[in-house]
Amino acid sequence: MNRRQAVTQVAWMLGGVFSAPTLQAMNRWEQIAKTTSAGTPTGKFLSETQHELMGRVAELIIPRTVSPGVESPRVESPGALDAGVPDFMDVMLRDCYTKAAQDIFLAGVSDLERKNFVTLSTDQQTALLKQIEADAQKSTNPTFWLITKELTLLGYFTSEVGVKASFDYQPIPGKFEAIKIKPGQKDFMYGNQA
Amino acid sequence: MNLNLKADKDQTYDAIVVGSGMTGGWAAKELAEKGLKVLVLERGYELKHVEDYKTAFSDPWEFEHRGKIPIVAAEEHYATMYFSAKEGSQFFFTNDKENPYVQKRPFNWIRAYHTGGKSLLWGKHTYRWNEEDFLANAKQGLGVDWPIRYADLVPWYNYVEKFVGISGQAEGLAVLPDSNFLPPMAMTAPELHLKKSVAQKLNRPITIGRVAHLTKPQPVHSAVGRATCQFRNRCTRGCPFGAYFSSLAATLPAARRTNRVTIVHNAIVKEIILDDKAQKAKGVRVIDQNTMEVRDFYAKVLFLNAGTIGSTSILMNSKSARFPTGLGNDSDQLGRNLMDHHLAIGARGDIDGFEDDYFFGARPGSLYIPRFRNWGTDKRSYLRGFGYQGGATRADWSRGAAETGFGADFKKKMTQPGPWKINLSGFGEVLPDPNNRFTLSNDQTDKWSLPQVVFDADFGENERAMRKDIMNDGAEMLEAAGFKNVVAYDNPVAHMGLGIHEMGTARMGKDPKTSILNKFNQVHACKNVFVTDGSAMTSASNVNPSLTYMALTARAASYAVEQLKARNL
Repeated sequence: MNRRQAVTQVAWMLGGVFSAPTLQAMNRWEQIAKTTSAGTPTGKFLSETQHELMGRVAELIIPRTVSPGVESPRVESPGALDAGVPDFMDVMLRDCYTKAAQDIFLAGVSDLERKNFVTLSTDQQTALLKQIEADAQKSTNPTFWLITKELTLLGYFTSEVGVKASFDYQPIPGKFEAIKIKPGQKDFMYGNQA
Repeated sequence: MNLNLKADKDQTYDAIVVGSGMTGGWAAKELAEKGLKVLVLERGYELKHVEDYKTAFSDPWEFEHRGKIPIVAAEEHYATMYFSAKEGSQFFFTNDKENPYVQKRPFNWIRAYHTGGKSLLWGKHTYRWNEEDFLANAKQGLGVDWPIRYADLVPWYNYVEKFVGISGQAEGLAVLPDSNFLPPMAMTAPELHLKKSVAQKLNRPITIGRVAHLTKPQPVHSAVGRATCQFRNRCTRGCPFGAYFSSLAATLPAARRTNRVTIVHNAIVKEIILDDKAQKAKGVRVIDQNTMEVRDFYAKVLFLNAGTIGSTSILMNSKSARFPTGLGNDSDQLGRNLMDHHLAIGARGDIDGFEDDYFFGARPGSLYIPRFRNWGTDKRSYLRGFGYQGGATRADWSRGAAETGFGADFKKKMTQPGPWKINLSGFGEVLPDPNNRFTLSNDQTDKWSLPQVVFDADFGENERAMRKDIMNDGAEMLEAAGFKNVVAYDNPVAHMGLGIHEMGTARMGKDPKTSILNKFNQVHACKNVFVTDGSAMTSASNVNPSLTYMALTARAASYAVEQLKARNL
């Protein structure tokens, strides 16, 4: 059952690193010979209301941040919505997840729809997500929360606005050397994650 | 009559090289540089260096799925997806659905049917084999004895290394003979700490991986347009700088420079045409993979460099009255003794401290820990040994999925370098076993009406016993260096083939009764056919094999030209 670990090690030996969603996807590839995909190559995966709801969830995970100052708040760094995470989620769920994972995800969205998530206050929304996260910790299987968080992180931290706001992006480093971290050092990103 | 003769003449060369990958490139270069008119037959499509590396400069956000492979594509490719798993390099891997094979026992057959072949996919770790590697079979009575020794290959290792360009550190170790090195890549702080601790506490050396990347190009590299490694570690998308060694970037340009080389693409070699009277090969019969047109090409000498399974399949498919079970198969060893390296096993851990240590650049390589088991005075219950590749890096933003928390502080935390993590992944030697084999199917064919390959091989008791040490020794080394949360892991479903080091199905040997090839990689019973890819290997060592394939190829090509000139072929 640990094909994923095998591939991770292979990635390591090649000097590559797989992100969490890739690892999850690998779990899926183990089953590919046995299962078939959901088979919706085009069209939207999420309904309009689900799309809006997931945009709200993603924005709570990776919010836009603004600098203090009541008169003229300035965007410090963009959030999940600025990075187009809901559209990205839609494409990924449609193309890169098995029917089983899609079902787990859709059940989670439906649950939030039933709880009228979008009409709740920010505090209530946050509290509800914390509860969902705590419940997910107990599960050893992929959960709605894990899929959501992976897709939000992947969608944001590999988006153009997300990369440029978050990291010291080095598409062509030109050298490799051990260095010391400077105060406030951002993580380097090398653009080899695709 | 005249027209036919003219056509034959147009399709006649001094030498035919089947395959344009790791060894095909070397065969083409060496034969052409020695004055032969060479035809290279590539079964796949034409891939051009630099201009066909379509994703080499793409940023992460330019990939619709940010590097992940959609399910439909994964289904099409499923065996190779385990390895490639990237949106940016998918097009280098062969589609399994269009190129089916049979798995009597599970086998991951990873292929690259295009110019350059698997030389565009390799991990680029590049090591000489040691003296013991060529003696072990004879000492232990396993398989057959190698017909050559390390000393026979030394001049050829020297020769190919300088052209390849290998970054590494000379260590003077008998177990891991030094190559001709370009400057080594750096180690990170926790890696240096591991090296020091393991040397002090366990007396085992650790060196930086020896990798075929130009850290300081020499004139021989610049001459074919290769440049310095940019430490992007986007190698799997093709290197537009030609910094890593591939036939596309290095040997094929050198071969073309002679103006004596013709490359024909989409040319699937069906069989070798035998001149029954002379017991020599006349040429090859080729199917165009797109048009299905069948053509014959003729030459005085043939080099099979189609990859282990490819080259051996061609021999198997070349049946005649003289060779009813395949060309050169008097020993019944054709297709047998299939080897690979076993991997997907090792240990990993975390380490505290080193918070101020970081690194700039993406290193396309890792550490290397040479074999220490069954070496010197060490004696284990199993035979042969293993090494490790691996390294330490800092976790990136993707760690966030497994951590609790979300919101502004969480987001900020993910932009900071994460904790150091380390991994040591073992590479173990697989013994030759005549029952680990592949055959050609009697009833299942592909769309070119060629029989499908049937794999029937697995790791044996010796490999399984070795795996215990790979886990334990990996964990022991990490613990010696003070790493925590050390986990030794094994993956029982890692099948043969995943290492992409398939070897041994047309082995070299002294005796035609027990081997297919002689000491110059010539088919014993058909002297103008040479096989110099992984098929030729008599045992597997525990280090990566490509450098040895290259050295064997250059040596065989030199011999072939000598023999041609002496009119012995």
